[in-house]
Amino acid sequence: MNKASLRLILITFVVIGSVAYLILSGVKQTGLQYMTVTELAQLSHAPKAGGFRLDGKVAAGSVVYDQKAPRLAFRMTDGGEAIGVVYEGLMPDAFAAGLEVVVEGTYRHDEKTLHASKLVTKCPSKYEAEGLGKDRS
Amino acid sequence: MSEIGRLAIILGFACSCYAVLSIAWGLRTGMAGPLKSGRRAVWIVCGLTLLATLVLERALISRDFSYRYVAEHTSLDLPPHYAATALWAGQEGSLLLWLLILSGYGAAFLWCYRKRIDPFYDAVAMVVATVMIFFTGLLTFVCSPFRILATPPADGNGLNPLLQDPGMMIHPPILYTGYVGFIIPFAFGIAVLLLNRSGTRWIEEVRRWTLFNWMFLGFGVLLGARWAYIELGWGGYWGWDPVENASLMPWLVGTAFLHSVMIEQRRGMLKTWNVVLIVLTFELSIFGTFLTRSGVLTSVHSFAESNIGPWFLGFILISSTAATALILYRKALLESENRMDAVVSREGSFLFNNVLFVALTFATFLGTTFPVISEAVTGAKISVSAPFFNRVNVPIALALLLLTGVGPVLSWKRATASVLKRNFVIPTFVGVLALLVGIPFGLRGVYPIVCVGGAAFVLATIVMEFARGIQARKDTEPAGSPVAMIHLVQKNKRRYGGYIVHFGVVMIFIGVLGSSVFQKEAHAPLKPGESMAIGPYTLTLRGVEEKQIQNAMQTRAAVDVAQGGKRLQTMHPAKAFYSKSQQPMTEVALRPTAAEDLYLILGGVNEDGSASIQAYINPLVSFVWLGGIVMVLGTLIALSDRMRLKREEKLLG
Repeated sequence: MNKASLRLILITFVVIGSVAYLILSGVKQTGLQYMTVTELAQLSHAPKAGGFRLDGKVAAGSVVYDQKAPRLAFRMTDGGEAIGVVYEGLMPDAFAAGLEVVVEGTYRHDEKTLHASKLVTKCPSKYEAEGLGKDRS
Repeated sequence: MSEIGRLAIILGFACSCYAVLSIAWGLRTGMAGPLKSGRRAVWIVCGLTLLATLVLERALISRDFSYRYVAEHTSLDLPPHYAATALWAGQEGSLLLWLLILSGYGAAFLWCYRKRIDPFYDAVAMVVATVMIFFTGLLTFVCSPFRILATPPADGNGLNPLLQDPGMMIHPPILYTGYVGFIIPFAFGIAVLLLNRSGTRWIEEVRRWTLFNWMFLGFGVLLGARWAYIELGWGGYWGWDPVENASLMPWLVGTAFLHSVMIEQRRGMLKTWNVVLIVLTFELSIFGTFLTRSGVLTSVHSFAESNIGPWFLGFILISSTAATALILYRKALLESENRMDAVVSREGSFLFNNVLFVALTFATFLGTTFPVISEAVTGAKISVSAPFFNRVNVPIALALLLLTGVGPVLSWKRATASVLKRNFVIPTFVGVLALLVGIPFGLRGVYPIVCVGGAAFVLATIVMEFARGIQARKDTEPAGSPVAMIHLVQKNKRRYGGYIVHFGVVMIFIGVLGSSVFQKEAHAPLKPGESMAIGPYTLTLRGVEEKQIQNAMQTRAAVDVAQGGKRLQTMHPAKAFYSKSQQPMTEVALRPTAAEDLYLILGGVNEDGSASIQAYINPLVSFVWLGGIVMVLGTLIALSDRMRLKREEKLLG
């Protein structure tokens, strides 16, 4: 192995090391804990600080939307427990009670409320196979 | 009619199997007959797929709701052009489009090399046919687009309003042309290993195919970003969504390959690495299709969870294992002919380019699949989103930007001090100068500073390369600068096409910087006659009206835009309610200029009669789209080099 190859390998390792550092520190600082609503709601003590990401359905009759602020509040459930979600932003197009949403944000254990910084609606499946019945055999 | 479509796909499956077996037989025995017959079978698959597609298209356009697929994705009030493009609105149709493009590539490949009598090309066709088996099989046994309903409904479910956009008519086919096309480089790589072929000719052929696919994929990715910008209505165009990432990853590895392949052509090095990159690009393309269609990850695109996920994973697992085994088995074929002479050289910089591109891909892959990986490793599901990608990918991308300026002007083998001085003193000076201008104008933060300085540096190297070339031409021919420049590019299309692509890249960097760091946002409920201010603009609501358009009811606001007391235009942000869905659809109003876009969203009409208006100023977004067009132009110039090579080949006999 000549000197140039050795140097290249060395620098490559430095690059890989820096990227690994970026990834690890990135996960540590921006990683979101991914729990079910029930798991989060049943925690007996406040979870360690950091972001959360939750999947669940918008509970029927729970949506309070102040379009002027704009501020959207609703309860989210996974069939078991429910928690409150507050999102300061416009209501996404596909948002409606009963639909699946994904929220990301910080959780306040004392209020059992997630303050969402991001709200994504899963596309309703009505554009897929709904109410069309069986295939012809 | 549906039976014809179904039968065509089944026959396509049979023909694909036959093609593989027949060519394998021919390769083993050296007989020309089976090879020829196998190639013909590939042609037939192409014809059959086209037939199946036409059958489905006919059903879509005539709204034949006895087809489950048609009933699911169209309705009577859908405009005909959207009915035709509903072919790629759902999973079954998308897979059929995949197969159509795949078999199209197979046919194009056979056509391009129809005069070459060499079993190598038959082996390539065999690999393509193997992938055809997978897709025809999937369309036959797992998700057929030709399922017929027992009781056809009077009207269909309708097309998702998000897909009723002109961008969606061309984005998927262009993206797929890029995705699917990586089959050809992959097949070349596998064929080389299968037949134990040495020589460099195939690598030039692979380079051209890759360049072609790479151009389509990149353009498709940008079209997707543009669609998100106009249609999704959140003020941005890139959110590090899993599906966006999925389309970016093969492009990144493809870019790495296009650079490192030059080292192989020039110095006979990095052969194994290049084959690995080809295989990886192809597998990531399949993985992208899998992510889009499997519903494994939450994304704006995962319209429904489906049953094809395991099939794709299985295909990726088997094909990548087979490719890896083959690479290891033919290790001797891929021995390097040369060694690295110095770190500061073209090879050295390209090597870093490769390490960085692969690192970027790896980080993107990790971030995209993080919930799955973290659950498998630690038991706790952790998810990462945009902040992670910005934190990890931005510095890597900036390092690549700097390399864009450094790499192309370093000499091969070893760059001497005088070369460095000649090429880098002025660009460094230009970079610093840009910062001296930018910082007083509010340029802050490490990344924006590196981005602006780096962009100016790269631009200076490109301009200098052109200036030097033009000067050299003017010394030999009496011509004006524009003519000399055209001749310069004509004489060396690959090189100057490459510089033009780099120029486009710099534009995209500037556009991304401007629209992410300097974005302005404002929101206000406005009653008719009331105004709000954003940046230099004053927005005044004139009124809101209800209007019936083709298949939707539209609530449309009229907003007067004025700047410095002068009225510029009236913009119409709207919400549409499509008759087939209860949900509203945001319709963004856009005022694009070269310097900045004014982007308005109608949040809705409030009880007191006011309209909620959300406004964004996105500086320099136009640079992103323009940069994309420049990249395509540069790639086309580099691709046109093919003609010259062909002529030389003829001269050599």
